[in-house]
Amino acid sequence: MAIDLQKLDDYRWLIPRTGAMRVPGLVFADQELKRSIEEDQSLTQVANVATLPGIVGHSLAMPDIHWGYGFPIGGVAAFDMADGIISPGGVGYDINCGCRLMTTRLHAHELRPLIREMVSALFREIPSGVGSTGAVHLSKSRQAEVAVKGAAWAVKNGFGSPSDLERTEDGGAMEGADPSVLSERTIKRGRNQLGTLGSGNHFLEIQVVDQILDEEKASCFGLFQGQVTLFIHSGSRGFGHQICDDFLKEMISATARGETTMALPDRQLACAPLGSDLARRYLSAMACAANYAWANRQILMHLTRETLLKALSIRPDELGMELLYDVCHNIAKKEQHLINGKEVLLCVHRKGATRALPPGHSLLPDRYRTVGQPVLIPGDMGTYSYVLAGAPGAMELSFGSCCHGAGRILSRTRAVKNAKGRAIHRELEDKGIFVQSRGKRTLKEEMPEAYKDVSRVVDVVHGAGLALKVARLRPLGVIKG
Amino acid sequence: MGSTDTTFTLLDHTADLGIVVTGADLRDLFEKAALSMMKIMIRKGPAGETASIRFSVSGEDYADLMVRWLGEILYLFEGEGLVMTHAKIDSISGFHIEATLKTVPFNPEEDEVLTEIKAVTYHRIQVVEKNGGWKTTVIFDL
Repeated sequence: MAIDLQKLDDYRWLIPRTGAMRVPGLVFADQELKRSIEEDQSLTQVANVATLPGIVGHSLAMPDIHWGYGFPIGGVAAFDMADGIISPGGVGYDINCGCRLMTTRLHAHELRPLIREMVSALFREIPSGVGSTGAVHLSKSRQAEVAVKGAAWAVKNGFGSPSDLERTEDGGAMEGADPSVLSERTIKRGRNQLGTLGSGNHFLEIQVVDQILDEEKASCFGLFQGQVTLFIHSGSRGFGHQICDDFLKEMISATARGETTMALPDRQLACAPLGSDLARRYLSAMACAANYAWANRQILMHLTRETLLKALSIRPDELGMELLYDVCHNIAKKEQHLINGKEVLLCVHRKGATRALPPGHSLLPDRYRTVGQPVLIPGDMGTYSYVLAGAPGAMELSFGSCCHGAGRILSRTRAVKNAKGRAIHRELEDKGIFVQSRGKRTLKEEMPEAYKDVSRVVDVVHGAGLALKVARLRPLGVIKG
Repeated sequence: MGSTDTTFTLLDHTADLGIVVTGADLRDLFEKAALSMMKIMIRKGPAGETASIRFSVSGEDYADLMVRWLGEILYLFEGEGLVMTHAKIDSISGFHIEATLKTVPFNPEEDEVLTEIKAVTYHRIQVVEKNGGWKTTVIFDL
């Protein structure tokens, strides 16, 4: 299906409504990114999402969009609660894959000789990689507590402090989590993985604030030039994957039994009407996974703090580690949005997209209310990450959403091929970045050239008014599973 | 005896990993697909104690059956720590499989994990007849 993109302005392109599409598509991109977006089938997926019942406004594509399964990655779609649907494929297998950024009092120039040691210490102490098990082993009843209380459970059990919760999206726990809807397999997979980083594109990074792009907002966020920051990118592990898998299969079976009448252009778009029992159960299970992921990142932050205190032999007040914010980028949320002048409750799917609340929004913690929600955009391994602040354009144009990262341009097989004969970890070391990775192929699959240019992606969301640039962060050390 | 031939080709996909597998008949196809998936995931070291597992799986059609079949084998590793080394399909009747698998416990000291597969997806899933045999395309979420 050839997709015809019509330019609206420098940062927005329309996919006109054709065929079975119920709404048009809207792609945020510049001319250059548009070219790479057209190379895979992500635009067809944007158009397919537009065929789903109850979709409101546009089927949206962020500038880091790439081909996913069913929904594209970097896609946002909002559905009316009355006649819309919920689709696990519109959230992703890694429910609440997300990131958190921690600030410190440390200056990078003081730590340069110690970075390699810090990376080694973190690599030793933070469980990562396939099959890794965490320090926290959960019985079924404890898992149920984690699934309902999320990051608050972690705080109550000594991982971090209560003030971390207001700097976490949703306070680190979504409402409506119901562990009774979870399968035995989910419980089994969640038993030993709390407090683990994961593998693939998940990472923990030591960074330096390389450039302040908005002095006022940076100051509000506690960022300064040359500051050492820590960035965690991780999700709900096998617990979340199993939930997505279980419910996707249940919705596919329900569709096959004729319980829903929609014809799906792609089986991976399997969904359930929002009013149905199946939808309710998925949303409850999804909330469990989201909360597990928030507990996970809260524990990982604590482990990071403890490891650095020991490795650097400094006191907690000298390290001064604080949570700046934690965002999720694979989730579905019930949110109020203004549609034709009326407040409407919508189910907003963000798959590889981040919430971006503007200044003044009631859901923001007091400290950030004048500036807007911190939006954290991890770069790929070896290049910049960004901190942005949510802006009014996001609420007007994208249901309060913006991009989540760089997005891949090379497949893993092609990346490995291109990396043949190259020592990626040494190339990164030449750039002053120390990397330790558990997986043998990870570094090649995750090499910088495999990803779009994150700076370009961030320029588009800034230019379109979805979120505004605050600071650029450069990696100094990375640990990967 | 189940198939030990693990011929497959990798399918280029931006975010994830896909495979294309062919088989002489349906049994051969499903057995090869299972072994191919294991080959992508794990390089098995010296074998541990082998156990035999019998199980069955059903689907809405062959494509759905393939996703569920591979998903079950993936769960054996992800949830139970068992590496499937041989797959023997005892019967495929309609869209229902009865099978016997040989498994070995995953040994983190000896076995190497090559790729973590989060899930077997329905994206572009295909099980079709081709050139007198059968062919499947499966994409894994990494």
